[in-house]
Amino acid sequence: MARYGMALDYKNCINCKACEVACKEENGVLLGADKHRIWVGVKEIEGEFPLLSIASNTFMPSQCQHCDNAPCEEVCPTHATYYDENGVVRVDSDKCILCSYCMNACPYDARYVDDRTVTVDKCNFCSDTRLARGEVTTACQATCPTKVRIFGDLDDPNSEISQVLREREHFTLKTHLGTKPKLFYLI
Amino acid sequence: MDLQKIIPYRKLSLKELLVPENKFMALVAIVLTALFLIGVMIYLVHGHHAYGVTREHPWGLLIAMYIFFVVSSTGLCIVGSFGDVFGFKDYMAVSKRAIFGSIITILSGFAVIAFEIGHPVRMMIYNVISPGLTSAIWWMGTLYGIYLTFMVIEFVFLMRNDMKRAKIFGLIGLLVGLAAHSNLGGVFGFLNARVVANGVFYPTYFILTAFITGIYLIFLMYGYKYRGQPFPEDVAKALTNFAKIQGLLLAILMFFETWKMLTGVYGGMPERADTIMHILHTKSFWLGEVLCGMVIPFLVILKSKGTAIKSMVWASFIGMIGIFYMRYDLVHDAQLFPMQTLKIREYQLPPSFVDYFPSLTEMMIGFGGIGLCLILYFLGTKLFDLDSMPEHH
Ligand code: SF4
Ligand code: SF4
Repeated sequence: MARYGMALDYKNCINCKACEVACKEENGVLLGADKHRIWVGVKEIEGEFPLLSIASNTFMPSQCQHCDNAPCEEVCPTHATYYDENGVVRVDSDKCILCSYCMNACPYDARYVDDRTVTVDKCNFCSDTRLARGEVTTACQATCPTKVRIFGDLDDPNSEISQVLREREHFTLKTHLGTKPKLFYLI
Repeated sequence: MDLQKIIPYRKLSLKELLVPENKFMALVAIVLTALFLIGVMIYLVHGHHAYGVTREHPWGLLIAMYIFFVVSSTGLCIVGSFGDVFGFKDYMAVSKRAIFGSIITILSGFAVIAFEIGHPVRMMIYNVISPGLTSAIWWMGTLYGIYLTFMVIEFVFLMRNDMKRAKIFGLIGLLVGLAAHSNLGGVFGFLNARVVANGVFYPTYFILTAFITGIYLIFLMYGYKYRGQPFPEDVAKALTNFAKIQGLLLAILMFFETWKMLTGVYGGMPERADTIMHILHTKSFWLGEVLCGMVIPFLVILKSKGTAIKSMVWASFIGMIGIFYMRYDLVHDAQLFPMQTLKIREYQLPPSFVDYFPSLTEMMIGFGGIGLCLILYFLGTKLFDLDSMPEHH
């Protein structure tokens, strides 16, 4: 079984939001639902006009970090949140009682309430859609025009993600919390 | 089956029930209960959209009110145990009323939380068939269920004056209740993401404030019962003792709170210190928690050395307002600091504390729960003899 993760070459991001659109389309997220599943964070340009520091303006895509040590999974009273065989953190909407404990426990604000199922949902690396069909890419990765996203098996030393993580420096978010995110930001 | 044989109760005429002796309290209870029902209907139509909670602030007034009720229940259970579990004669007079109170407060708490949890029925099924053993909510819920069962059995034996069995079930109920209640503290203590809540503080603090709440409530119950009359000697004695214990407990609570705030701001740790400073600038902390919940009752006790039990009734009323603020702030403060990773500057919004204010529907259901509690209490005082002392064998 794989242990899926994603590396983000975030400096290539041009904030075109193609990934958000592709994700909504693939996973049936309600239109207009802001920051559901994935989003692009914007760091505004620093400085006063005309002395603007163009380099300070960066875009950082974010989403569920698929923590290896996920607080959302630990606090879920009914095991609605679970690790699947690929290490993907998933929510079983039949078991979710909407206690919102996981929303409070997730340090990355990655979870939201899906208005259709009235349960908590979040990114699941297209496990219900693309991966279930036997494909090996996520919608956001496949659509990104500047190849920001590299999705793959962290346990396979020959996968692109493993190679890139070996070669390039990277960091994870809120590492000090011990959640062991599987989203890596490439420097 | 004859219910009388299981639990002795009074046979009531409808007239006794429909013509309560205190019209004002009856009106308060009915209005609040009506609001509860209206709130529930709005919730059933609109779901969580009728509430002020958001993705950033998923827990609101209803969680606070649930905590308010179950803290009350645990507190009354502790207070009641003095007489029937530990066998202190001075406290025997208040046991029945306290244990009855602990049952109705937790029932009211369950009634409120049922409309906050998105799928309460599903919860009962999956709590059993796929338990999340690492979840503090799972333990809290399960233990409170067991606790309620034991408290009901204890109450039945108390009413039958079977003190031996009441003692056994009371002791188990008390222990399970304490475990449940510290787990409720753990629900917050386990939140690594929320640095003001994370840690060992809440589980112990919950037990302490439960004890304090229980004493406030016992004063309210007896203050109401003997309004305008002198207290009977045995009740007065128990209450005076409780007032003295309350003085000590409030002193410990103030000590706890001081150290929580000091360790919170010390070193200026990001997130934690900012949040604590924010709390220290709110009126609900100073006027609600500190003044009403601790200082005023403490001064009343200090001034008379615990003997002014009539004034303590009023002080307890103020104290309960303070306890409400303690619960509300606890829930709100944990969620104050935004978690929004990498979304911080989006749309040029400066990072700010998360806002939340309860919607009207939340208030109707949350405060309406007090109406349920009052009605159950009224029925209890009519149906059961909560005052007779057990005969000693
Ligand atoms: S990022 Fe949040 S939702 Fe995703 S696995 Fe980690 S704790 Fe859970
Ligand atoms: S809201 Fe659902 S997924 Fe989240 S902790 Fe509660 S039951 Fe689990």
